[in-house]
Amino acid sequence: MRSPDTIVALSTPPGRSGVAVIRLSGPHSLDYLKSLLRKTDFSPAPNRVSLHTLRDPESDEILDRALITYFKSPQSFTGEDVVELSCHGSPVLLLHVIDALLRLGARAADPGEFTLRAVSNGHLNLSQAEAVRDLIEAQTHAAVRQAARQLGGELSARLQPFKDTLIELIVPLESSLEFVEDDLPELVLAQLTDNLKQLSQNLESLAETFRSGRLLKEGINVALVGRPNAGKSSVFNRLLASDRAIVTDIPGTTRDSLSELLTIEGVPILLTDTAGVRQAGDTLEQLGIERTRRAIADADLVIVVIDGSQHLSGEDEAICAEVSESKHLLVINKSDLEILYEGGLNGVTRGIQSVTVSAITGAGFDLLRHAILAPFTDSAPQDTSVLITNARHFDLLQRAANSLYSSQRAIQQGASEDLILVGLYDALRYLGEITGETTTEDILSEIFATFCIGK
Amino acid sequence: MSFDEQFDVVVIGAGHAGCEAASSAARMGCQTALVTLNLDLIGQMSCNPAIGGIAKGHIVREIDALGGIMGRVIDRTGIQFRLLNRSRGPAVQSPRAQADRALYRTEMRQTLEATPNLHLRQGLVVELVILDGRIVGVEMQDARRLRAKAVVLASGTFLNGLIHTGRKTYTAGRAGEPASLELAENLKEIGFSVGRLKTGTPPRLDGRTINWEQFQPQFSDELPVPFSFSTQTIEQPQITCFVGYTNEHVHNAIRNNIHESPLYSGQIKSVGPRYCPSIEDKVVKFPDKGRHQLFLEPEGHNTFEVYLNGFSTSMPSDFQQELVHKIPGLDEAKIIRPGYAIEYDFVDPRELTPFLETSRVKNLFFAGQINGTTGYEEAACQGLLAGINAALSVQGRQSFRLSRDESYIGVLIDDLIKFGVDEPYRMFTSRAENRLSLRYDTADLRLSIYGREFGLINDPSWDNFNLRRDRLGRLRTILDRTRFKRSDTAYQEIAQTLNVDLGDSVSLSQLAIRANVPIELIRKFTPFNHSYLPSDFETVAADFLYSGYVQSQKNNFARVFYNDSLHIPPNLVFNTICGLSKEMIHRFEQAKPTNFGQARTIPGMTPVALTNLLIYLKLNNTL
Repeated sequence: MRSPDTIVALSTPPGRSGVAVIRLSGPHSLDYLKSLLRKTDFSPAPNRVSLHTLRDPESDEILDRALITYFKSPQSFTGEDVVELSCHGSPVLLLHVIDALLRLGARAADPGEFTLRAVSNGHLNLSQAEAVRDLIEAQTHAAVRQAARQLGGELSARLQPFKDTLIELIVPLESSLEFVEDDLPELVLAQLTDNLKQLSQNLESLAETFRSGRLLKEGINVALVGRPNAGKSSVFNRLLASDRAIVTDIPGTTRDSLSELLTIEGVPILLTDTAGVRQAGDTLEQLGIERTRRAIADADLVIVVIDGSQHLSGEDEAICAEVSESKHLLVINKSDLEILYEGGLNGVTRGIQSVTVSAITGAGFDLLRHAILAPFTDSAPQDTSVLITNARHFDLLQRAANSLYSSQRAIQQGASEDLILVGLYDALRYLGEITGETTTEDILSEIFATFCIGK
Repeated sequence: MSFDEQFDVVVIGAGHAGCEAASSAARMGCQTALVTLNLDLIGQMSCNPAIGGIAKGHIVREIDALGGIMGRVIDRTGIQFRLLNRSRGPAVQSPRAQADRALYRTEMRQTLEATPNLHLRQGLVVELVILDGRIVGVEMQDARRLRAKAVVLASGTFLNGLIHTGRKTYTAGRAGEPASLELAENLKEIGFSVGRLKTGTPPRLDGRTINWEQFQPQFSDELPVPFSFSTQTIEQPQITCFVGYTNEHVHNAIRNNIHESPLYSGQIKSVGPRYCPSIEDKVVKFPDKGRHQLFLEPEGHNTFEVYLNGFSTSMPSDFQQELVHKIPGLDEAKIIRPGYAIEYDFVDPRELTPFLETSRVKNLFFAGQINGTTGYEEAACQGLLAGINAALSVQGRQSFRLSRDESYIGVLIDDLIKFGVDEPYRMFTSRAENRLSLRYDTADLRLSIYGREFGLINDPSWDNFNLRRDRLGRLRTILDRTRFKRSDTAYQEIAQTLNVDLGDSVSLSQLAIRANVPIELIRKFTPFNHSYLPSDFETVAADFLYSGYVQSQKNNFARVFYNDSLHIPPNLVFNTICGLSKEMIHRFEQAKPTNFGQARTIPGMTPVALTNLLIYLKLNNTL
């Protein structure tokens, strides 16, 4: 292939694992690696493994410690410059690394694209053909395929209005170029600019929802609520204790504050204990309710702590009702004691996900940590294939939005319609890589349906 | 088998495709016969007497750059030249010219008669003589047989042509000319997959009966832009055309009598071009539009005949006259020739190779409307390619194809053979993914090298081309290197004219990239500017304007289109390819793609399926 771009993807089979390999292939592989290592003069010996710290090139945050191997073209799987990063297997961490690489300019690889490049560069011979076949089979594993199709179908439906709008914008522009002698309505560029702005913003917000590093950058706000003596503070402390090493201070808060930052699988969690808002002797008095409500409103996730050694009280039920509008989770504490809690069989706690823990013994806290992250790592946090698809979608949607911004610049500069259209067509093509191509024929049909064309 | 005459190449049909085919094959050294039904109608414009327009003008420039003749002939016979889209980017500008219909025919015939190795023959071909899957000659109605090593069939609308005017139908190739019925039958016998298409034409009026005051004049350009790179000046006196409109009276009359139109009575079933709708179509499909534009185009210097552009119709003749009278200014106008619709046979172009040779019969080439296209320019460029390839195959040389990224001709042929047609195919600039690189003014830079290689570009033209290329190179360097600082008077004058801040310094090439900088301003400050033609400035400035876009598009498209030409074997069993879902296998089997480009555009394809196919094809290509 002539001057290909540099592609990135997770190259180990989908699923949670101890170690996962992110692979880069293309002329900029080494450049992107240097940026991740924050070492411009990094020059690794080919085919040697070495251990390095990966950092976010923008925030300088530590992402992971990874084993790095550089394969110099043509002595690599694809025949191009290849870099392999063996990272820890947490999906969220992996995706943050991939996200950083996309931001540096890499493109999320199409399915099977590494193999394709290897084949194109003549790096697979007859005897290797069998191995290739296995690899493709792995990439199109039934479950993965189904997940991708479901996601793709749903996304296609969400993208259709964007494509329709794009075509609506293309039609008058294109008609004004192709059918100069026809009696067409005048183009209104101001209107076009507004529509483009709206469309690119909408695309960007949609892209943002696929952005894998989003959580890691912004963190998740988690609030602990519950009636007194349910054990909120002990749950709070137990969660912190497991993470003591990487607790950092947040500006404006102190060690005594009721908010603490911890990380779970690399995702920053701002944990707030609403216990402190209560004065001694108060029951659910006015001030406490106000503060608790505000904490609940700010939270991405609310954890309702319930004393499992007691029957569900009216107060517990009131709190559960309070959080019903938010994403929430029940923690049944005190599993070291005899459990009297009825297990959400009836009333307001029915059907709510719950985790049973003991803040004293630490039992159940691994499950709790997963449960905290689960609602934020997309539908299936274990399934890296879905997250890979997400990285590709983010990449394509962001590129589509950028293309529309370039069209807006062209309008501002007073460029001719042929240049304004470049960005619009590019955007349509990027969306087409997700939903299927829009052909010239489709656009011509739309033109002929919209305008009476022809002498 | 005995033959009356021996030729290298026989071209059937002397329309726009046939003329280019015969001319190129003859000039490449082949003894070439051009067989036509009527020697007096060579190069006849059966519809609108005009050549060029957006995308079509680009094609004429490409024909000229390759050494074809259409550009030169229209330059000598054009009576109203206009460069379209002048206010827009240079990539979508294109020349258009009204022709003097009779002059064009005469000029074309003279051009062909002056061509060595080219022999005109009048007659009706009734059969293609085929031996062992290879064409060996043609047989005519009068029993003459012409031997040929290669044949180009450019039959236009003549194959099984059927004209409709109201309920009246009759077989004809064009109004007043016989259809080609036996040959149409012969093609079916050979096994070609034949379909039907439809096109139409408007009535012609007697100019002496038109009240011209009622119409707005449309003038030709003051400085006509010629089609041919070798034309210095346009010498024909230029005429004025006129613009007018239909009205609700006309529309109501059409609505009330729509059953009289063979298009709506069910009499015509085949598909016509959407961009050349009949007036019936316009009225029915756009009922809210209160008026439709009309152009009155005089057919030549020596005739009163006027072409009523925009009023194509197959209504009954007397009703056409009634409708015309309802248009202000045409109250007294007399129709000389009524409009009509014509249905004709075409052959599925997916059976063609990229060289326009049929895959069914060796050395048989198809060009023009037989391949499902419409338009003189689309026909002519196919004729040229078919003629070149016929000559190449006779001479045992390698066949010639053009790619999508270097020419509109490449786009056209690629579209035809990949996707086939379901309506007459017309070129649009949007069909070319990288139209920004396919400007009308760079056709010579893109293609003349090929024309020269085939011997289709003579020494003076080649010298001119090289001089131009050198001038462009020098001018590019000068614009890049001429830079003005804030303190220079030139800088101040430029900044003042444009009313913008240009930074600390600005080069002329940077100015060219800015939108809306008049070319005259750049020219004014170019050292030694008298050494360059105005068109040199336009070309170099446009190169700068588009350079960034062209580069980034090149990168984008390289990935998307890179594998499009990869051949898919016809006997490929899709369910032997790893990793394809049942659904994808079904889609492939239904669409039967013959190359990867076709597979890529099958609706509903997933990237995974395409990659799996691609890997399979690549492996099997290299193994």
